[in-house]
Amino acid sequence: MPEVRIIAKNFMDMVASMPAMKLDKLYDNGFICEAILRSLPPLGKKYVLQMLHIDVQVTAKSMEEWVLPDGISKQKVAIDRLVQLRVFIETVDRKNEKSYKLNPTFQRSLQKLLVNGGTLPREPMPSNITVRLPGLEDLEAYALEQWECFLLQLISSNQVERPSNISSSLMKVFQRRLMSQRDREPPRLTESGFQFLLMDTNAQLWYIIREYISNSEARGVDAAELISFLLELSFHVIGEAYNINTLTDFQRNIIKDLADLGLVKLQQGRKESWFIPTKLATNLSVSLADSSSRKEGFVVVETNFRVYAYSTSKLHCEILRLFSRYATKHLLNVEYQLPNLIVGAITKESLYNAFENGITSDQIISFLQQNAHPRVAERIPSVPENVTDQIRLWESDLNRVEMTEAYYYDEFPSRDVFEAACDCAREWNGLLWEDSKKMHMVVKTEVHTHVRDYLRRQK
Amino acid sequence: MALGLGSTGARTYLYAELVEIGEIATRDDVSLLVVSLDTNPFFWSTFSLSFSDFISHVLAFLNSILLLSQLNQVVVIATGCNSCAYIYDSSVDSSHGSDTSGMPALYSNLLRKLEEFVARDEQLGKAQMQGATASSLLSGSLSMALCYIQRVFRSGPLHPQPRILCLQGSPDGPEQYVAIMNSIFSAQRSTVPIDSCYIGSNNSAFLQQASYITGGIYYRPPQLDGLFQYLSMVFATDLHSRAFLRLPKSVGVDFRASCFCHKQTIDMGYVCSVCLSIFCEHHQKCSTCGKYIPKFCPAYRGDKHNGNALG
Repeated sequence: MPEVRIIAKNFMDMVASMPAMKLDKLYDNGFICEAILRSLPPLGKKYVLQMLHIDVQVTAKSMEEWVLPDGISKQKVAIDRLVQLRVFIETVDRKNEKSYKLNPTFQRSLQKLLVNGGTLPREPMPSNITVRLPGLEDLEAYALEQWECFLLQLISSNQVERPSNISSSLMKVFQRRLMSQRDREPPRLTESGFQFLLMDTNAQLWYIIREYISNSEARGVDAAELISFLLELSFHVIGEAYNINTLTDFQRNIIKDLADLGLVKLQQGRKESWFIPTKLATNLSVSLADSSSRKEGFVVVETNFRVYAYSTSKLHCEILRLFSRYATKHLLNVEYQLPNLIVGAITKESLYNAFENGITSDQIISFLQQNAHPRVAERIPSVPENVTDQIRLWESDLNRVEMTEAYYYDEFPSRDVFEAACDCAREWNGLLWEDSKKMHMVVKTEVHTHVRDYLRRQK
Repeated sequence: MALGLGSTGARTYLYAELVEIGEIATRDDVSLLVVSLDTNPFFWSTFSLSFSDFISHVLAFLNSILLLSQLNQVVVIATGCNSCAYIYDSSVDSSHGSDTSGMPALYSNLLRKLEEFVARDEQLGKAQMQGATASSLLSGSLSMALCYIQRVFRSGPLHPQPRILCLQGSPDGPEQYVAIMNSIFSAQRSTVPIDSCYIGSNNSAFLQQASYITGGIYYRPPQLDGLFQYLSMVFATDLHSRAFLRLPKSVGVDFRASCFCHKQTIDMGYVCSVCLSIFCEHHQKCSTCGKYIPKFCPAYRGDKHNGNALG
């Protein structure tokens, strides 16, 4: 099921897939080098640092001496990654021995960054021009609200009170793999759509940004320029105002889309206008695993399978209700709903429907755990064990019968032929069932031809 | 659960998968580096490498640690001969940009604080003239580092992995023996490795023991003009990567102890049978616990290369 795993991969894969020329151009910017460095596996980082002031080729053989025998595979992964990103330049000499050297552009930029520090292309605006800047908490609240609003629009366009300015064509791009559109039916979430909703904010953001970039060529936007701008943005200081006039026309177009996603907040003064990066923007260059932006949870699960969701957020409500709105998609049987509280119960029927839609028990449990209300989040486990066990049991109930396509053989002329055929099927590892009294057997479809040919040869 | 992920679950699966293929940087390598910086003027005035050259290597190294991960944290403690002080903390100093002088904020902040510290330390030295010794106050900076780390441990489950790095040049001060050993054991208890980069002429027995007992690295760079390379090669290694990297191993640790009575390093001495205090000569009564020591038990302690450290 490759479709199911919609991993929100990070920028670096997109960076790695860029042509060499463009990559070298990107590495002129110290901040991009820093972002790349931070995305590397630990060993990769270490090697870059180690090679930073080495100007000669280092042979693969001598690099192997840097690690213990158990580390060889890790080293291989790290070096492959470095070569893929063109941070290491690989050369193979006549004796077919590999040696590595740091990309000179990358090396120069990083050395400069280390000694002189980096300077952003723009300075924060002085506070006498920018009035009423939002505080950090306000800004975070703004970013989350903007993001939720976007998600809500993504999953049910008609629910939104104030639709964002994202063009419907761009929205279609985002929805492409998450929603399925059938004639005359309201759009429904696909399997990946469900999984997308159950991911945490950072992972969701990655997914959307990736779609945004991969679609950029179609919109006539240069992907390399877009990536470099997004990475640069992630090094701006949260909560500081930056003048819009310092942006190029290209960047000014993009910043509007980013504001709709909650990555930046746009504000206008009397003369000037400026943008303020939010936490979502600065999290971009942090790799996927560091998504430590813990949201305050809102779900309490009791041992009697009751679920209380304390939330005024429309999105939360929508996610929980989404499972119940369509008759076929329940996660919860919603019993009643107050302005800030949704009460429901997890039942066998509701979960069967979820399983049918490709949601796994593990996903449901991790959703409940990740969104546990602070009052229960401290407890271990945050979701009662009997509930998690039961959810897993219900899932395994559905998998009791395994279907295998097979062929059925009978009317063997003699016991010898029957037994020889059984052995043949066994050899191919395809014998599913045999009845030696009545001389019947069932084999897997894959080995049917082998058994048939074998029987023909016997005649 | 330290990562805030469920024991099972879709995210864990994806996460594990990504880690497996080395696709992403994990949280494992996020480190908190507490550096003890030797500022002892008695040492630096006689040493071949000038203090400013030394500092420029160290600053580049600290900056590179911060460069490696957004979550990495660096704390610098200056170790003078009369006092110690925190002179830099990257979690407090958040401004990323540079100031007017064209230096990163780290450099200018640290250098300013360092100058203030050295001036204050000198003042203290003048106040107590006869107390001036050639050794620096390593025990003080170790305890400060451990206090800082304890605070981080208590801040919550998602803390970076701490380690201590001693950049030391001055010779050991035997009078600090007990305090240093206590710091080392408390570091061992809280599994904080103490790395030592010793640049002085003879090996430091204290630091050798500190690194040996806590599982850190003790290294004496043979060439000081390439100090940055040694620092980045050896001491920039995060605890996660240490499991599979070939790093310098200590050969022969000097386990000699100092006596409690005259603070001298000794090969053989008397040990109190109750509290294990060490004395270079026989006492009627243990000065630490008050227990009478029988005359007939001279104990043998502190064998060189002997794995048994203090109690």
